[in-house]
Amino acid sequence: MRHTLDIYRRLILVQIRSQLQYRVSFLLDTLATGFQVFISFITLALILQRFDGIGGWTLSEVAFLYGMVEVAFGTMDMLFSGFDPANFGRQVRQGAFDQLLLRPISATLQVFGSQFIIRRVGRIAQGLAVLTFAIVSLNLNWTPAKLVYLPIVIASLVCFFGGLFMIGATITFWTVDSIEVINIFTYGGSEMMSYPMHIYPDWVRRFFTYILPAIFLNYAPALYFLGKPDPLGLPPFAAFLAPVAGIATLLAALAFWQYGMRHYQSTGT
Amino acid sequence: MSIISVTDLHKHFKVNKHRSGLAGAVRGLFSTESTLVRAVDGISFSVEPGELVGYLGPNGAGKSTTLKMLTGLLVPTSGQLLSNGHVPWRERKTYVARIGAVFGQRTTLWWDLPVIESLELLQYVYKVPRERFRHNLAEFRELLELGPFLNTPVRSLSLGQRMRADICAALLHEPDLLFLDEPTIGLDVVAKERIRQFIRHINRERGVTVLLTTHDLSDVEKLCERVMIIDHGRLLYDGQLAALRDRFGGKRELVVDFAEDEGAAADLSVDGATIIERDGPRVVYSFGRETISASGLISLLSARYRIRDLSVREPDIEDTIRRIYEERLLEKPSN
Repeated sequence: MRHTLDIYRRLILVQIRSQLQYRVSFLLDTLATGFQVFISFITLALILQRFDGIGGWTLSEVAFLYGMVEVAFGTMDMLFSGFDPANFGRQVRQGAFDQLLLRPISATLQVFGSQFIIRRVGRIAQGLAVLTFAIVSLNLNWTPAKLVYLPIVIASLVCFFGGLFMIGATITFWTVDSIEVINIFTYGGSEMMSYPMHIYPDWVRRFFTYILPAIFLNYAPALYFLGKPDPLGLPPFAAFLAPVAGIATLLAALAFWQYGMRHYQSTGT
Repeated sequence: MSIISVTDLHKHFKVNKHRSGLAGAVRGLFSTESTLVRAVDGISFSVEPGELVGYLGPNGAGKSTTLKMLTGLLVPTSGQLLSNGHVPWRERKTYVARIGAVFGQRTTLWWDLPVIESLELLQYVYKVPRERFRHNLAEFRELLELGPFLNTPVRSLSLGQRMRADICAALLHEPDLLFLDEPTIGLDVVAKERIRQFIRHINRERGVTVLLTTHDLSDVEKLCERVMIIDHGRLLYDGQLAALRDRFGGKRELVVDFAEDEGAAADLSVDGATIIERDGPRVVYSFGRETISASGLISLLSARYRIRDLSVREPDIEDTIRRIYEERLLEKPSN
């Protein structure tokens, strides 16, 4: 285990060093990814201003949810970028994944260590800015429990999004090419999760409850933090299911990933 | 005790049929018609420790599939495979710790890192003791002439440099077995020769068992005593390269320049050889190994005529192999 972590640390260091080699492009990329988030939030803010909130939520309240999801997705995108389906599909196609299987350490660990996109800190930083703006302007009633639970919810969201990336990567063992459908779930999913769930039609909400347990990771905890009544009638403990939903998704994804690797070894490409 | 033993190994792939056009693509979503491809179709062989074996075959013959099974990347459809005391795909991590593998077209090194840093990273991955690592690196650095580009990022290396760096990377952890897939593909003559010399060196001096696939016959001629020939997933030949030449070499030719005054005389024919060319005093005889030896033919001729000069032409090994592929000379009656 110590050996494994040591190798992971070294693989990440390699990534960081090679990305910092091109200092100018690194800085521009970081600013660009951050700016993207900022622009889309400004757009959202302008629309909300015009319509006086969304589904009964004020701009600040939406910003809270939005910031939480952005911070989590940015963090996940940094840690799990080895599993980014588009990127991983290419690795499989070019046989680079075979090279990982030829080394006497866990292939999963090596995929984690194969990409670490530090310019995502731009996205995380902008997400944090939005979240801070929301917290400051909302004057929330912070209890110690809420203070402890917020980072837990964000960590759970990271696990959840990471699980989606992993499932997407696993599918490329069969399709070889990454298919757009996967991006609908990862990028599209995170986009939809940035808004309060009660604005969506029933079938969408059902999908994000029963197929993907997303509602327990964004909407239910947000209601708890914001102290808002629940228009959907979720059970009161739903707000505290975030760690369960996050970890369960990641474990299910890991199991599917292991299954995919066995399939890969029996078919090749 | 063999280091590799393979018994009746099969690997079959289902290949989905692709239909053309949009309608075809849509239909393909719902029903998949597939054909079975027998990439490896029942091969058996064993390799003794310290051997250097050439695995020869045209593209698509099943070479790479065999190699992928030997390195644990692929699970066979059926058959037994024991290599270095392990079933490769079942005990992947313990197995690959004791083997080295280079797949010619791909690199195991980190693209953006200088070569030396990739090698150091592999030192940790394989847990090579510092002293052994230094010792091996010093030796390989000299033999493979890595010095000039050790600090160059892998992405800026030439193909030959990259191959040398990759071969070095595959051996730093002192594996018992080395698998090389097309190690000289796309290289110039000098680079090929350097790599061949190195492979010979680690085989002889370090006793590493080497199995290399190639479709370049000169690799095999210069390196391997033993050759296995595969085509259509079946082993066509497994044995000494010299014996292959003897058995399937086809006819040899003897070129004789007779003394001028013999030129017009008699018919010059000899039992067991046929004249295939006659140009003034120069006559070319063709003869099979089974009917007459070269020395027999020469002594017959020199007893009867005055000879000024002569030479024997061996059939090209490349032609020999081509004949084997084309005529399926070695194919046993269906079994």
